Formats: sequence, C-alpha cells, structure tokens
Amino acid sequence: MPDHKDITPPELTKDRGSLHPINHMKDSIMSLLVSFGFEIVDGPEIETEEFNFDMLNIKKSHPARQMHDTFYVENKSNLLRTHTSPVQIRGMLEKKPPLAFISGGKVYRKDDDATHLPMFHQVEGIYVDENVSFAQLKDLIYKIIYSLFGEDVELRFRPSYFPFTEPSAEVDILSKEGKWLEILGCGLVNPVVLENCNIDSNKYSGLAFGLGVERIAMLKHGVTDIREFYKSNLDFLSQFK
Amino acid sequence: MKIAYSHLSQYIEENPTIEQISDSLFQLGHEHEINSDIFDMEFTPNRGDCLSLNGLLRDLAVFYTVDFNQEIYTEKLNELQLDFENLSESTCPKISFLKLEIENIPEIYKGSLDNYFKDLSLNKNNLFTDVSNYLSYETGQPTHCYDASTMSGKLLFHEIDKNEEFETLLDKKITLSGKNSVFSLNDNIINLAGIVGGKSTSCSTNTKTVIVECAFFQPEAIIGKSVKYDIQSEASHKFERGVDPDCHDRVLRRFIKLVSEHANIKDMSIISYKSKDNPITQMPVNVGKINQIIGINISEKEYLSYLLKLGFIVEEGLIEVPSFRSDVKTQNDLAEEVARVIGYDNIATLEISIPKKEKTNHKAIENKLRFFLLDHGFYEVINSPFVSLSSEEAIKVDNPLDSNREFLRTNITNSLVDNLLFNERRQKDSIKLFEISDVYLSSNGINKKRKLSVVASGRVGLNYEDFSKKINKKYLTALFQEILPNEVFDFEILSRDLLDTKIKNEIVTLEVDIDRFSTNILSFKEISKSPESFAQYSPISDLPSSFKDISYSIKDYSKTQELQDLLLNYQSDIIKNVYIFDYFKNEKQEEIKIGFRFIFQSKKATLNSAEIELVYNDIVTKSLSISGISIPGI
Repeated sequence: MPDHKDITPPELTKDRGSLHPINHMKDSIMSLLVSFGFEIVDGPEIETEEFNFDMLNIKKSHPARQMHDTFYVENKSNLLRTHTSPVQIRGMLEKKPPLAFISGGKVYRKDDDATHLPMFHQVEGIYVDENVSFAQLKDLIYKIIYSLFGEDVELRFRPSYFPFTEPSAEVDILSKEGKWLEILGCGLVNPVVLENCNIDSNKYSGLAFGLGVERIAMLKHGVTDIREFYKSNLDFLSQFK
Repeated sequence: MKIAYSHLSQYIEENPTIEQISDSLFQLGHEHEINSDIFDMEFTPNRGDCLSLNGLLRDLAVFYTVDFNQEIYTEKLNELQLDFENLSESTCPKISFLKLEIENIPEIYKGSLDNYFKDLSLNKNNLFTDVSNYLSYETGQPTHCYDASTMSGKLLFHEIDKNEEFETLLDKKITLSGKNSVFSLNDNIINLAGIVGGKSTSCSTNTKTVIVECAFFQPEAIIGKSVKYDIQSEASHKFERGVDPDCHDRVLRRFIKLVSEHANIKDMSIISYKSKDNPITQMPVNVGKINQIIGINISEKEYLSYLLKLGFIVEEGLIEVPSFRSDVKTQNDLAEEVARVIGYDNIATLEISIPKKEKTNHKAIENKLRFFLLDHGFYEVINSPFVSLSSEEAIKVDNPLDSNREFLRTNITNSLVDNLLFNERRQKDSIKLFEISDVYLSSNGINKKRKLSVVASGRVGLNYEDFSKKINKKYLTALFQEILPNEVFDFEILSRDLLDTKIKNEIVTLEVDIDRFSTNILSFKEISKSPESFAQYSPISDLPSSFKDISYSIKDYSKTQELQDLLLNYQSDIIKNVYIFDYFKNEKQEEIKIGFRFIFQSKKATLNSAEIELVYNDIVTKSLSISGISIPGI
C-alpha cells in the first residue's frame, strides 16, 4: 500500500534569470579594480569633442575624429563617446592627486562587421600620484591579468601608440592554442593630458589602462561570435547563471 | 607595408636571420606577419618615419650595425627654370622639383630597382614612375612624376573649395568637393596633392623627360582624403603620418643615381622652395627623469648610446631630435625610446600600492533591482540604442550606419518588445526581460535619463506551480510590491495588433526612471547572486524546437522519486530541456498525477517526427518499467 504521509512533492524549481554576461564581466572587472584601490566614476555617453578628443591630446587631424570612425549627433555639436577616457578627464578636473579612478560602460565606434560592433563596452582606469612609473604600471597589469586569467597565463607587453599615454603598450596573453591575443592597452599618462587637467606634470605622473569587456568575456566564456551577446536570445543568456 | 627580408639584411653587417629581425621588430613595437620572407608590417600611426626600408633600418640600427650604402648623385646641379607659384605655403612649406631628360628607355632593370619589383612581385609602369615608387619604398618620401612634355604653362599649388572634376592617373574620375590641396596647370587640376596624380600629365613608357615633385605636405591637409575619394594611395598613407621635411635633396639625388644606372641622362636641373625651416626639437639630457618615468636605473652613458644609435644628436647637454622623428617631443617620448630598446618585457616590475578608499556601494539601487528581477526569472539584456523611428525628442545621428539606425532610442521598451518577439519565434512561452540603460533625449539641450524597462509575457514560470499561470498586470504589480509596498507602478498592456505575431499572450511592460526607486529597496534580501565562475558557453541551435508532454499516474508514491530521477536526467542529443509542468496529489483516488514536458531541438538539422518518436518511445518504455506507474491512454 502507498504511504500517503511520506510523499513529498517534487522540488519546485523556480526559474532564476541571469545577468547579461557583458554586464557581469564589466562588474567583475570593476570589483577587482575597486579591491586594488580604484574609485568608480561615471560619465555621459554623449560627449563633446573637447572631452572625447582635445583634452586627451587627440589632434584635430587624428583619423579617429573622422566621420567614418566616430558617430556625431545633433549637427556635430556632440558625439557618442568613442572610449570611456573622457570620464577620467572629468574626474581629474574635479579632484586633485593622488587619485585613482575607473570608469566602465558603453562606447561607440562606426564599425559593424563580424568582429566589430558599433556599440561595445570598456573599462578604463587611471592612477595619478608622484613618481608613478612604467614598472609600476607593469605590476598593476600583471595583477589584473593574473586575477582574470590565473597566474599561469603567459603575457607580453608590446610598444604601442595612444595619443593620451606615453610610453604606451599593448598587452597580449598566450592562448591555449599558442596564439597571442591582445587583452588591453595601457601606458603612462601623457604629461600633456595632465596639464590639460590642471595637474602639474613636473610633480605628478600617472598610469592608465583600458580593457575591452567583450574581448575578455569572449575568452572567459568561450564565445566566438561577438554578435551573440546582443541577440537577447534566452537560449544564450540562460547559460550564464 | 611589405618589406623584403633580403632588402633589410643586405644592409646589416651581422647578417641576422629572419627570425632574429622579427624578434627585434616586435621588441621595437613593429607588429608584422612573415609570408615567404616578406615582412607584412603594421605600424602605429605615430611612426610614419618607419614606412620605408630605411625607416626600419634606422630603428634596427639600435641592435645591429647598419651600413646604408645607398649611392646618391653628388655633383653640382643646375637650377631648374620653372614657372611655379605656391599659394598655400602653410600646407606645403617645402617643395622641390627635379627635371631629368634621358636619351634611352631601358628594357630591363638592375640592382635595387630590379630586386624591388621581383622580390615583392610588383607590376612595373614606366621607368620614372617605377623609380619614384621604389624611392618611396626605400626612403619613405613619396615623389610624383609629371611627363615634362605635358607641362607647359604656369604650375600652381593652391587650395580649392568648390566642386571640380578630376581624372586620376588610374583612370578614375572623381568629383573633388570641399577643401582640397591641388596642383593646377593653366587652371586645370593635374594633381590631388599627396593623394594621386592626374591622367593628363602622367608619365608613360615613352616619357623621356620628367619633372619630379618632392614635397612636404602638412598631414592635416591630407588626412581623410583617400577614404573620401575611395583611392588606395600609399603616398597619402605616408603624408598623413608625416614624412621627413629635410630629405628632399638626398631623395632627388638618389633619384638621379637610380635613373643613371639605367639610362644616359642628357640634362638635369633642380629647384627647391622653402617658406620656413623645419623647427628643431631639443631637450635637455636628463637620465634621472628617464629612470623615474620607466622605473629603472640606467647610466647616462647607456641612455645616450641608445639615442645615438637611433639617430638622435647629443651636444652640450642637449638632445636634438632628428627631422624624421616628428613624433618625439617630450621626455616621455624619449623614455619610450629607451623602454623599447631595453624591451618592455625586460623592464622589472615595481610593486604598486594604491591607497585604499572607503568602500562605496556604487549603483546599489540598480544592483538591488537587478537581483530582485533575477530572483523572479527575469533576464538582463543589452540593446543597441540606434533606431529608425524618430520622435520629437529623438537625437539624430549625423552619420548613421544606415537609415535604420538614424536616431537614438527614446525608450528602452521598444527594444525589449523586439527581443520578446525574437524569443517567441523561437518557441519560448515564458519570457521575462529587463534592461537598465541611459536614454538620451533632445529637449532644451541633451538630457540623460537612467531607466529600467521590464517586458514580460507568457507563463509565469516553467514549474508545476507557475506553468498554468499567465503573466499579467496583477502578477507584476504584486511582484514589485514585494520591494516597494507603498509604490504603485504603471504597468501597461501592449497591444499585439501592430506586432507581427499570432501569439495572444498579454505583453506587460513597464518603463520607469531609476530615480523612482528609493533606498528603501536596499533592505530587500535577494536570493540570486553574481555567478562566481564564468560558465563555458555551449553553442545554441537556431533550428525549430517542439515539445511532447507525458502525464503519469502513480499509485505507489514511493516510485515518484525514481521516475523523476529517470526523466529529469534522461540523456539525449535532441532533448534540450525537461521539466515538471504538472503535479497533483488526489487524496481520494490515492493517486499522484505528474506531467513532464520534453523540449526537443537538434543542433544539426530540423527534427522530423520519426526522430522525436524514437526518443519518446524509449522514454515511455523506460518509465513504464517502473512498477506502479502508468500513462493514462497508453
């Protein structure tokens, strides 16, 4: 005979949703950087040329400023920020060194193909103090990369060029397949940028870095097509609980 | 830019292997790929000086002994009588012209010129154009060759700001518009300066007398033009990045030498125009500053030895930047030179310690909302802000990707409704989405609003309690009262009349300013957490799915768990999901009714009924082998 009293109903599985994997990745990176001592600052996605380019030592002639690379709005009076760096400019204008900011969010560039989207996400950081050096920047980048990818990951620094940093570097990690993959850009803040923000570049120096959130999320999750992140397909999103 | 290994190595005494040169180039920051002994270089935009064989050799000279060994014509040259006027000296502060007449046109090339075309598999044009192209490769300085027989009249360099037709030497007709720097002859445009020459004055295989133009154009005057007119131009690529303003005499004398190696020169003359001297950049020698910037401790002797090898001049405590390095202006630039030579990876780290700040809870309200919604089965989405629909408040993009993305969205809900329909088309019957985003509006300037949007439709959940309940305003209102009992939110029912769908479920929406939520919600205790690890993604299928329900009658209650274990863990390539959608215990009948829903979908091909039946029958057979269990109707 069945035992009427002992039966328990099946476990009631309540469906939980999930954070968007890009937001989760962005939040994870920012939490990590906060644990290093950085403070989060926010800024607008619609920016002026002054904050997006001029203050960052990106000259009028720089190709990034062309209509084929940057989205301009409202009869060129403003633009969609092409990076999160203008947030750091705003931060440096508001506060005095020593300062350590990070900013994260959406940025826009006029690209749309299998590997580039017109909207993507960045996290950038800046640290300004006396005697900040490239060797310290390297230490910080090692800490970030080791935290994200584990301490057995192999990385390399390559000289690069950004108008707002000097010296500038790009950092690659070695994939399991033996390919070098670009992970972030970084450098010492160009003294011109410090001076633009009323910071005495003879007394202070700074380091800055920026990561593409989609690139890191693709590597961490094994997603090979960047467009998958933005289809809002529940079969895709439900995998990131 | 492609540069042959053999062209580099012939000037390097140590005779390094291609791998050794490759390693050196990477250390110096010059990315490249190697294909068949050819370096395919990609230079950063500040290093226009490297866009040549000699440019790379100048950088490699820091590691190797480089002997350029490129002969030039050294005799005195007559002054060229040329009817030329420069009306835009600010755009072109330096320009030189060389006129050459040859007796014979060579049939074959030799030496460097021959190697250039053979090793890089390039097509030849005519002697003068070929020498010009090779010189651009060797020295980095573009030159332009006019057939002198077409050049009678006054030559003018000037700016135009009107629409003009122009036919390039590549037979392409373009309409110049806006501001352009051009060369005109008798009021006809014969050259779009720094980009491409014109057809009417171009050299041919019969040309025996040439006028070679060698100029410095300000990069600002050139940038964007080749893209604007869709012209592939190596010259513009170099001018945009800056060329050496002081190289004209040497380049033109090298031009003469190369021509003289192939033909008898009958006559030659040269003239140079200069409106101002190239400013010389000088900086004090300050190894302490360099050590502080990089975080190293090298001696002044070591520091200066690097700079000298890179072509810098050091005199009386001052460092003079060579004319080809327009990118070097500050001590930080010099520090980068040193860091490149040492190798970024060879610079030891110095421990960094950033003072810790008092912890602040950034976006605490937003995050609380996110986890609250996660608890109730909502998925966070991110949508592009570009839309086709205009409204009075919509911000217009001046240069949209296409007409469907001309405006910035003024609400988030429309994007979420699109997401909902997308998922309904994929047979999803319980859809709950949310997005938190800035929305920008044009009203008295640009205004930003941070908003939460929620869209939901279909079943409340995919479990036996929620399966038969439909999402409606009442459900969502009750949900939000959990966190804000005293607030009333304006949930709306969206009509499906204008939507391309046959599904009838109500679509409930809410769009609200984040400011509406007070810190009261911070006391809400959420269940959901951020994932602690990063789930490995499994590729999804976009093929149609279908479902089958099986309802069981269980008289022997003790078998319920065995049945669940069997069915919820049933393995098949074509089962995407299984869940219990119905459970009822009938006390009077002493019977449990339990229903399982199986979702079938393949990653390879659309499933046919036979494939589904095969798995279905196996499930039925295995489940009915459990005693005390039956499937009504079977």
